[in-house]
Amino acid sequence: MSPRPVPAHPGRGVLPDLLRHNETYLAVLIVVLCAAITLANPAFLTYENITGFLKSYAMLGIMAVGALFVLVLSGSPDVSFTAIAQVVEYAVVVAAMRLGGNIFLALLFAAVLGMALGLVNGAIVHWFRVPTIIVTIATFNIYFGMLYVVTHGKLINSVPTLFRTFGNALILSRVSRIGATYGLSLMTLVWLVTAALGWFILARTSLGRSVFAIGGNEVAAERVGVAMLRTRLFVFGLVGFLSGVAAVVHVSIVQSVVPNIIVGKELDVIAAVVLGGASVFGGKGTILGSVLGVLLFAILNNGLTLLNFSSYWYNVTIGVVITVAITISAVQQLRRQRARVHVNVEP
Amino acid sequence: MSPAFLRRPSSNRTLAGILLALLVLMSALNPQRFPTLGNLVSMSYQLPIIAFLSLGMMVTMVSGGINLAIVATANFTGIVTVLLLQALAGDAADQAGPGVALLAMAGGLAAAVVVGLVTGWLIAFVEVPPILATLATMTLLSGVNLVITKGYTLSGFPDFLLAVGNGMAGPVPIPFIILLVVVAVMGVFLRRTRTGLSIYMVGANPIAAGYSNVPVRAVLVRDYVLSSAFAALTAFIMMGQLNSVKANYAESYLLVSVLACFLGGVDPFGGAGSLTGMVLSVVILQVVSTGVNLLRMDPFFIQALWGFIILVLLAASYLGGRLREGRRLRAARSAQQTADHPPGVGAAR
Amino acid sequence: MAHEFLRLEKIHKSFAGVHALRGVDFSIQQGEIHCLVGENGSGKSTLIKIISGVLHPDSGRILVEGRAVASLGSAATMASGIQVIYQDLSLFPNLTVAENIAIAEVKERGRALVNWKEIRDIARAAMARIQVDLDLEVEVGELPIGKQQLVAICRALTSELKLLILDEPTSSLPKPDIDHLLAVVRDLQAHGIAVLFVSHKLNEVFEVAERITVLRDGERVATLPPGELDDDRLVGLMTGRTLSRTPFAFRDTAAPIVLEVRGLSKPNNFEDISFQLRAGEIVALIGLIGSGRTELALALFGISPAARGEIRVEGNPVPVRSVQEAVAAGIAYVPENRLVQGLVMKHSVEENLTAPVLDKLLGRLGLVDPVRKAALAREWIQTLGIKVADPAVPVQTLSGGNQQRVVIAKWLAADPRILILDGPTVGVDVMAKGAIHQYVRDLAARGMAVLLITDEIPEAVVNANRILIMRAGRIRREIDTVGLQVEEVQQLVEART
Repeated sequence: MSPRPVPAHPGRGVLPDLLRHNETYLAVLIVVLCAAITLANPAFLTYENITGFLKSYAMLGIMAVGALFVLVLSGSPDVSFTAIAQVVEYAVVVAAMRLGGNIFLALLFAAVLGMALGLVNGAIVHWFRVPTIIVTIATFNIYFGMLYVVTHGKLINSVPTLFRTFGNALILSRVSRIGATYGLSLMTLVWLVTAALGWFILARTSLGRSVFAIGGNEVAAERVGVAMLRTRLFVFGLVGFLSGVAAVVHVSIVQSVVPNIIVGKELDVIAAVVLGGASVFGGKGTILGSVLGVLLFAILNNGLTLLNFSSYWYNVTIGVVITVAITISAVQQLRRQRARVHVNVEP
Repeated sequence: MSPAFLRRPSSNRTLAGILLALLVLMSALNPQRFPTLGNLVSMSYQLPIIAFLSLGMMVTMVSGGINLAIVATANFTGIVTVLLLQALAGDAADQAGPGVALLAMAGGLAAAVVVGLVTGWLIAFVEVPPILATLATMTLLSGVNLVITKGYTLSGFPDFLLAVGNGMAGPVPIPFIILLVVVAVMGVFLRRTRTGLSIYMVGANPIAAGYSNVPVRAVLVRDYVLSSAFAALTAFIMMGQLNSVKANYAESYLLVSVLACFLGGVDPFGGAGSLTGMVLSVVILQVVSTGVNLLRMDPFFIQALWGFIILVLLAASYLGGRLREGRRLRAARSAQQTADHPPGVGAAR
Repeated sequence: MAHEFLRLEKIHKSFAGVHALRGVDFSIQQGEIHCLVGENGSGKSTLIKIISGVLHPDSGRILVEGRAVASLGSAATMASGIQVIYQDLSLFPNLTVAENIAIAEVKERGRALVNWKEIRDIARAAMARIQVDLDLEVEVGELPIGKQQLVAICRALTSELKLLILDEPTSSLPKPDIDHLLAVVRDLQAHGIAVLFVSHKLNEVFEVAERITVLRDGERVATLPPGELDDDRLVGLMTGRTLSRTPFAFRDTAAPIVLEVRGLSKPNNFEDISFQLRAGEIVALIGLIGSGRTELALALFGISPAARGEIRVEGNPVPVRSVQEAVAAGIAYVPENRLVQGLVMKHSVEENLTAPVLDKLLGRLGLVDPVRKAALAREWIQTLGIKVADPAVPVQTLSGGNQQRVVIAKWLAADPRILILDGPTVGVDVMAKGAIHQYVRDLAARGMAVLLITDEIPEAVVNANRILIMRAGRIRREIDTVGLQVEEVQQLVEART
């Protein structure tokens, strides 16, 4: 070891390490929030309530996994995934209405269609070397526009039973006093499974590590032999795949197809993922952070409802949370830069 | 001679050509209704809205950022203006005179400026990336807008205010006159003022700009205040034309303004962007929108079409850019080589 | 007996009419430490790119270990055991040391799943080969550059390395890291790995090379052991000319004190800095990287203001809390990193030249007058002899020497009283260096006070009349350059009290 003066660098103890990660702060914030809301309205901390909001946020949770991959890849977000979900939702319901089938076929169909739409993004981003946000603004417009051209904005009010059954499926169920059944929704499980899958890919597969490599230093990635096109196609294909799954989950929950209901939530998903620690410069982010980010939004929304705030307050609350979070993060970054020792001044 | 980054003669010529071709095409497809005075007037009413939003987006993209909150800021301005009108004139708001109207508008503009100041401060002093800072303000503002209006539409505007967006000065729509004036001023601002020139430098290389005596933080704050001012201007015109304000008007315009910037030649990485190109691109978008509308084509088809146009442009600019860059760099380098080493005896410098 | 590892014969390469390499012969022995020197434009980076397989030669032969290869593609290069470490190091700041070291090997093995134990093992094995011990779990982005370089070398060692090419490896290293790097290079040699060092720092070249190859204008001019060369001969071979080296003299002891600094301090940057600068002086501030010299300059220029102490310009105390205040006080700073700090590459020569002085070009209505702007640009292009056909071309198309002139010119246009030059001739070919030095001397002769920050001691000894030696954040010595020898200064710079 070369005899160098020790740099002033946070130690590698557990506590300082934890404090540097967004997930810690998110987790603490979530716990605090849960406590505060429960104090105001004890109905929050009930099995029925919690499984309820975990179900309704499953769709966003699944899409957040995909959004994380894109942010790690380059920091420039994909904004077309809600349009993809919208298109796939329509297509899978119409297909089920005309061809029947079961939920597995529906999921397969949705995932494959979504993946195809996502791969288009991947190809364009790779070949034209333009920021993802711009390409996906274009494809968003194309997918959404064409959806309306084809469907004329028609709603589908009753969807095939297979979706309803899927959506209503529960595990660990209980029956309430008034006879309603509630429990952990299968939709939430799908969210958790996709999150686990996402974690595994990012942490344990070569493709996943390639995503981090490209996000950290694109030029170096190419030099060390990372498969650029394959990795990019994989990420965008995965986003599409997950959007397809999310679409099936969504239609199974709401049991209708409204062609403009999913669209508009892109920035919410991206905000949740960024709150969870993904960097807009690329190369950083965790699945745990994204899950916690979505969880935070879910709890905020639920809390507002339980505390009888009108839904109009939702955006303001989220806006405040985002503002505070990014300010803290930026200030921390500034402090770290200023604390960097430039010179070891001799006394 | 205007700075290199503001001149894109070949691309602007292409845009002008496209515009001409589109005008001919739309007139051919709609000979009774497109090439009429009435249609021209109608287009010049609608153009300023997308034009001002795009200009507001452009100034932030040129400095290397983006303003996701621009539409939310416009809606916020509208709502604040209405609230002030109601505070000043109560139920008789729609009969209020120009003085009251101007006062309310000044208040709305001030609200937008405050938003710009906060955003600019976050970006310049706290060093939050612009996409995040404006995402935050956008969410906050749309929330605030919703809370104030509870989703309702507010209306009842005095004639003066309506005239800004909807009036005519002779045969020419007032908003169009405002647009012409603003574009002229922006042309001077971007090329001839220190702040304008600095915005380009900060976008191209904020570190070198700082080392070159450019007050980077002040420039960024001014930049986002300017962007918000454009949002306010858009709001006044929208109020005139829609005769109402709502929490979420023109939400889809955010994406269109980004499209317009990109079509008009703004470098997505910052540091370059031509005003002429912007103006041409906004006119193109308006012509396409109106022309296709007159054909009773599905407006959603237009939306998909715009997406497709961006992709085509991305492809063309990538391919064209690579060719031109390569040629230009090589030509410049070999010219440089001959300048450095003139043929014959190497002269002492 | 060592035998030949790599041989290039009669290599020609041209691009777009520029004949970058003309019939170059080049060889490296197994386990040799070989240095490649040459000005900008001499063809040395082209030669490196051909050896590393990024470019293919137009004609000529390449032999690796005696066998001719058709051409070296990057896969073939790595298979031959040739690796390049570029100046940017090609590291992933967001990944750990272990993953950075192992990534090339892991990609080579091509398995779908990641085995973190395998990664750590690969990393430890590589580090062990050069007796380096870094914390495997640290993110590389948090390491200082010296350690990052070691990570890059370790990565190169994960494959069957036979030739390691280092492109300007020491340009941003503090002295202890340079020493360590040179030790590692000798260690590699002991393992039979040849090292090709591309460097412009002649003193390091002499310290470690077994043979030195000089390129000039695309031709190999000489290949000699360092014993047969000295600074002057080497420069002569690199440029084809000899440079005159008249030392700069300053005699006007009555000249006014333009800059006075007293007790200037900033924690973790520098401490208790005091000195004076008279009109017409060129004072060199020498210090290695990590001595605080650049930090001091940044404080004088307002980028990173001092916490305590006083700065006086022409006798008046001035607060320098921002660049604007520094410029208003008459201080100008030409930064060390031209590409990032000095110029806006995309913008034109005119734009860059006029950027700091826009407030002097105002005409009617407080608007910048384009005519005066263009005139100012033309004036300075002419005065400094900047070779450019059209001031509207992007400054990135200019050669290094011309770019440096633009950076200097833009600050001269601000009419400063004090000019701080930080490494003004780094990355500039030798002839342009001489021209820049001469120009600076002319400026001093006309009354400019110049603070010349450099770590090239010969440059300081010849071009300054006084030297301030900085180490560990303080000024240690102040010496007059009359009759001064480079070796003396060297010792003072590196000495430990």
